[in-house]
Amino acid sequence: MTNRRDFLKLSALAVAATTGMPGFLARAAAQAGGTKTLVVIQLTGGNDGLNTLVPYSNGAYYAARPTIAVAKKDVLTLTPDLGMHPALRPLMPLWDAGKFAWIENVGYPNPNRSHFASMAIWHTADPTQAQAEGWIGRIAERIGDPFCASNIGATTPQALRAADFSLPSIDGVDRFQLKLPQGLNAPFTALLDAPRSGEAEYLVRATRQMMTNTARVQASVKKYRPGATYPESAFAAQLRDTARLIAAGVGQRVLYVSLGGFDTHAGQRAEQDELLATLAEGLAAFHADLQTQGLADDVIVMGFSEFGRRVAENDSAGTDHGKGSVMFALGQGVKGGVHGSSPDLEDLSEGDVKYKQDFRGVYAGALTRWLQLDARAILNGDFAGPAWVA
Amino acid sequence: MTLTPHTRPLSAEDAAHFLRRTAFGGTDSQIRALTGRAAADATREALAFTAALAPANPFDPATGATTGAMLQLTRARWLYELVYGPHPLREKLVLTWSNHFVIGTDKVRNHPALAGYLATLRQHAATPDFTRLALAVAQTPAMLRYLDNDQNKKGKPNENFSRELLELFTVGLGPYSEADVREGARALSGWTFTGGRGNKNFLEPQAFVFNARQHDTGQKTYLGQRGNLSPEDVVRAAATHPQTALSVSRKLHRAFMADTPDERAVQGSAETWRRTNGNVGAVLTELLSSAEFYASRARIVRSPVEYVVGALRTMGQPALEPKAVLNLMQTAGRMGQVLLQPDTVKGWDGGREWINDSALLLRLQAAAALTLGQSAPTLDRAPSDLALFGSERSAAAAALTSLNARQRTYLALVSPEFQLA
Repeated sequence: MTNRRDFLKLSALAVAATTGMPGFLARAAAQAGGTKTLVVIQLTGGNDGLNTLVPYSNGAYYAARPTIAVAKKDVLTLTPDLGMHPALRPLMPLWDAGKFAWIENVGYPNPNRSHFASMAIWHTADPTQAQAEGWIGRIAERIGDPFCASNIGATTPQALRAADFSLPSIDGVDRFQLKLPQGLNAPFTALLDAPRSGEAEYLVRATRQMMTNTARVQASVKKYRPGATYPESAFAAQLRDTARLIAAGVGQRVLYVSLGGFDTHAGQRAEQDELLATLAEGLAAFHADLQTQGLADDVIVMGFSEFGRRVAENDSAGTDHGKGSVMFALGQGVKGGVHGSSPDLEDLSEGDVKYKQDFRGVYAGALTRWLQLDARAILNGDFAGPAWVA
Repeated sequence: MTLTPHTRPLSAEDAAHFLRRTAFGGTDSQIRALTGRAAADATREALAFTAALAPANPFDPATGATTGAMLQLTRARWLYELVYGPHPLREKLVLTWSNHFVIGTDKVRNHPALAGYLATLRQHAATPDFTRLALAVAQTPAMLRYLDNDQNKKGKPNENFSRELLELFTVGLGPYSEADVREGARALSGWTFTGGRGNKNFLEPQAFVFNARQHDTGQKTYLGQRGNLSPEDVVRAAATHPQTALSVSRKLHRAFMADTPDERAVQGSAETWRRTNGNVGAVLTELLSSAEFYASRARIVRSPVEYVVGALRTMGQPALEPKAVLNLMQTAGRMGQVLLQPDTVKGWDGGREWINDSALLLRLQAAAALTLGQSAPTLDRAPSDLALFGSERSAAAAALTSLNARQRTYLALVSPEFQLA
């Protein structure tokens, strides 16, 4: 833990600087090494894995879902047993190129059906719910740079919370700049310099950090020209900002984007079909953009949701909260295909699939093989997973 | 630990603190009017709500040409009430309850349902009986729709409301089982609403109805009770569960005492809650006139809505064009707080989560618009240091002495002191 303590000492220094990038941060970022970026996609609300990666040869799937199953004729065939939801068609070229991976049947011990408890478990990588820090927050502490990961959106998820600060949220790159009215720079600095403690001191640190972060972003982002046409969705706009930050070389190693609305208790097909289309169209444009920018080799995407839905549909043509689900990954650095085995739909736990792959093993792949970090220290244990990073 | 009454007459700084917490802030003359009063009297007067609303609210959701316009007008109407209404503490409680009994305009897109939901929260804002509030909210078409209980039918249970009733609205995670969730859903079957379905019927009235034919009349076991439980039985059992006293008291402490409440003080309120059978008004009265309340300064990060409403109330409720109110409502949304649309059914966690780079930038922009912008309101008198910073001699105020009144107010509004309550 010496690393972490050192980092906290340093971060206190970092936030004392009001302009530019403090010297130690430049040093720490250089030491962290690596030019690879991980983009994490959160599907909020519990995405139904079975209607995403469809076991179309399985009679038990159709028996459990007379109304909402994806018909065999509609699936995008991947293997003799599995096919993608038709709304994911924009991702087929990546699959065909061997650059899209599904990771089957992912979960964690003692599954929790609460959205919030379960999301917190994915965020902290701690099924005992004892930790408040996020797994990406711990990456920042390891790397020693409070700007090495950012959320793209309005509110910072728990995954990006570190012991003593939260990593930034960038809600629109163009808006991410500080413009004080003329003549007020000095009084603003004096205002921040007044002695404080407690929450007021936290707000000062957050404000100073914002000044550093905005300066760092604005110094770089003007270089970017989009290399693909993005669809008209808030999610796609966030992916475009993600590409822009990567192309500008702002320095984040992890970027985080969320797509919400997957809590499909009623009328699931209409809702989930639309969301999956938004997901696939956005990701396809994002990947195309990175290819145009010549950055596709340096970026992989990893997607998850807090849980899957129950195997059997409910009587509102929806599904209630379940347990295990699928994860996905894409990029030139990804080993395409289906990793892991599909759940046995005739051997369920309280109506849910029995997970086989602990999600921390999937995280470990990204940490060790992609970001070249010590997964054990970040995840507080050794977790095995499929070799989904090429 | 029971809370200790605050017995000294209120100092000017005590009065400023009380107004920051119960009225989003106040002017220097409002602070002076409270100075020297007894804490118990200040609390009693602040809690003496009538049904009165802000006069001449310019926003009428029924004039919305589309669902989207109706929703914006509904939010603006509420923001206007928050800024100009006669009962700021009532509205602070409505804001608190709307972040507890969460509904969301992603699913509830009907004007009468939203108006009915807000009216219910206002009517029961400081309820003498939490169970009555829980029952009333559970029967609003807004809640029935939001958590799918209108889909919850005999033999076809939908567990959404049943789960969140336990996890989020009453006992909190832990003291119940998945079986309680399932059995609760069976008991809640048949509670639904009539009218106003579909996107085109966003102005059509909706009404709660018990559809007996869709109600599961079988035996159920719920939180240790067994019988042919009705929906009312289930809500009552959850609302009167001993853990509910603790979990909802903690919410009240987060709204009025500190983002990270003192658990012993929460226990004190929970004891009062149990002794009074869930008398929220009594719990609030004790909390707001306690020594602990007056000792707890600058420990709540103002939410985006509290921030903009607080700025305007501290500036003396200057008249704004309706367009400016709409803009502020949208700005609060971009800061992370869209009224009636929390990110999830758990509501906003608040505290430090309100603070991030983008939100701080927007606070700077909003403050500039209110003080330096072309359409910034003209004030008869600039807000005092006491009103802005909560104290008469703060180091922050001292840093701004060389500035004119507008510049000074602008920077004060973005100071850590103003952003905290």
